[in-house]
Amino acid sequence: MASSCYGDALIRRIKEKASKWIYRNPVPGPDGTHLNHHLPKSGLRKKDADAVVVAVTSDAVFDPGADEGDAFRVGLAFPLLQALQRVNERLLEQNPSESLLFDIILITTSSQRQQQSSQIMRSTRHHGLEVGRFCFSSEDNFLESLLENNVQLFLSTDRNETSQASQRGVLSALLDQRAASSPSEQLRVLFCGDTVVQPNAAGPMSTIQHDAQSFPAQLGKMRQRFGMLDSPLVIILMVSQGGRDSCSSALQVLRSCGVGVDEAYCLAGAPQSPILSLLHPHFLLSDDFGELEE
Amino acid sequence: MNLDNGQSLTVGGQDLTRNGSSSGSSSRYPWEDAKKVMKPSTPTRKPQPPKPENAITIAVSSRVLFNMEKEQQIYEQQGMEEYIRYQVEHESEPFGPGPAFSFVKALEAVNARLRELYPESEELFDVVLMTNNHAYVGLRLINTINHHQLFIERFCMTGGNSPIGYLKAYHTNLYLSADPGKVREALEEGIAAATMFTQEKMKEVSDTQLRVAFDGDAVLFSDESERIYKAHGLDKFFEHEKAHENKPLDHGPLKGFLEALGKLQKRFYGKGQRMDCPIRTYLVTARSAASSGTRALKTLRSWGLEIDEALFLAGAPKGPMLEKIRPHIFFDDQMFHVEGAAEMGTVACHVPYGIAQKVSRKAGKEPSAPK
Repeated sequence: MASSCYGDALIRRIKEKASKWIYRNPVPGPDGTHLNHHLPKSGLRKKDADAVVVAVTSDAVFDPGADEGDAFRVGLAFPLLQALQRVNERLLEQNPSESLLFDIILITTSSQRQQQSSQIMRSTRHHGLEVGRFCFSSEDNFLESLLENNVQLFLSTDRNETSQASQRGVLSALLDQRAASSPSEQLRVLFCGDTVVQPNAAGPMSTIQHDAQSFPAQLGKMRQRFGMLDSPLVIILMVSQGGRDSCSSALQVLRSCGVGVDEAYCLAGAPQSPILSLLHPHFLLSDDFGELEE
Repeated sequence: MNLDNGQSLTVGGQDLTRNGSSSGSSSRYPWEDAKKVMKPSTPTRKPQPPKPENAITIAVSSRVLFNMEKEQQIYEQQGMEEYIRYQVEHESEPFGPGPAFSFVKALEAVNARLRELYPESEELFDVVLMTNNHAYVGLRLINTINHHQLFIERFCMTGGNSPIGYLKAYHTNLYLSADPGKVREALEEGIAAATMFTQEKMKEVSDTQLRVAFDGDAVLFSDESERIYKAHGLDKFFEHEKAHENKPLDHGPLKGFLEALGKLQKRFYGKGQRMDCPIRTYLVTARSAASSGTRALKTLRSWGLEIDEALFLAGAPKGPMLEKIRPHIFFDDQMFHVEGAAEMGTVACHVPYGIAQKVSRKAGKEPSAPK
């Protein structure tokens, strides 16, 4: 089944300016995509260009197992989505015409979920989640959806999926139980310093130094919108094998890409998990995602 | 950092957030030019730090390892943003030594000797920089560590979060900080800790032998006897100590650290280096040798701990005696003694434990570390 992406209320944030948009039952366009035709095209394009597109799988957002009647129960990525929303809220508080915002896509990656579109959309609204777009894809075409939607960061609980996406050049991170206990009021992003300094040629972190529009660079810009204290977005660096030289290099590489680090931890070979359990990152950016010790 | 919408932080006129592709100047990073000012670090083969559970971990905050008085003042008077801006601007200028500096250097000297005798062993000192500072200060701190050729490879820059969890994660044996609040928190969690202060005078100390001096009551021992003294006076105190001479005192917050030092000392004795041991410990107590001192010595013996020199001052000021000993660090629970020692150039730190704190709490605001 071909994937269909719903251009849902990215414009919800400017609803004061616009008249009521019909977004619940969008009109299908001639090519099968579902866009909101009432939008002034130029306006949408300008804002879209600055948005940071983050795609999260539905199996991460909603507990694949249970469902409480009408709506799915929330999954481990729920605090993450709340934190992404919080960043957007704070950005708009500071500047109502802010365009550098997270554009959140909820994506399905299996035929089973693809067929549960209405339940997924219902659950999203039930839990008050602000999703910009829905992409109902299957295991066969979710990669194409990621590329078509210019996804800058793909988050999934499935190692297979993140691996595939990464191979197609989409920066990906594996979500795990840690994300469930992360705060909902502050987005905490962890860069694993060992691969910042010596990235794998094929890995996503190798792009960090070359791409001004990369997710890390955008994240850095967003972080700059806030002060030192009380930021809804916090950037953390952890160097696990290297010592202070690696840490120094990683800080400088990140800084050269416009990423200012808030917290830095250098382990020089000390066990990672005691430290990681205190950091509460929502996700880790590393070429070796998933290879960290349990 | 929000310096007006969209305005970016500059370092020496160069845009901090400039990315590589839009570079117009000759050097890629502004700090490359600045680095030439600093002493180059000699490329020696660096030994791998030991596993935390095997090592004796000493966690030090940035303000006790280095002198950051000027920056602290900027933080207190002009706020966080200005403090950070100043730190980044002066990134290539190393800080001067702080009160814990010579102590850390002495730890390294002991490590060098231990590595000679036991090349495969992980029973070593491991110094971790544990600071509340924001990671923007990180490069300046690392540059300073390089400049002074310290061997610190591990750090936590928590950007304002409490260090207590990280202290535990590193199996910390001793925590030194300028922030009394954090020190008290650590003590409450069972971690040996003391508050250090910037001192005007710091007398020269040995760079081959680590010397650590401890007060007795409420530092090595519990504060039970001090309570009696405070409640009932000196006579009752003597009576009580005589009557309980053979009953060991309960342990105090620094007992574990003395124990750790003792274990390392035995490593040297085992190789026939008792006379030349690079670790020496001292007890400097107001108890008197004739009477109340006996209980102290018997307690140490019952714990299986040795102390190299026990100095019973019978109430005399500690400053002059410490000035002769020249320890790298002296621990006392009473600010009166800490100040007295510091006046004469001994690096003295305060263990905020026991009855002495409730009786004589210093009035006024205690400045906290930059968050």
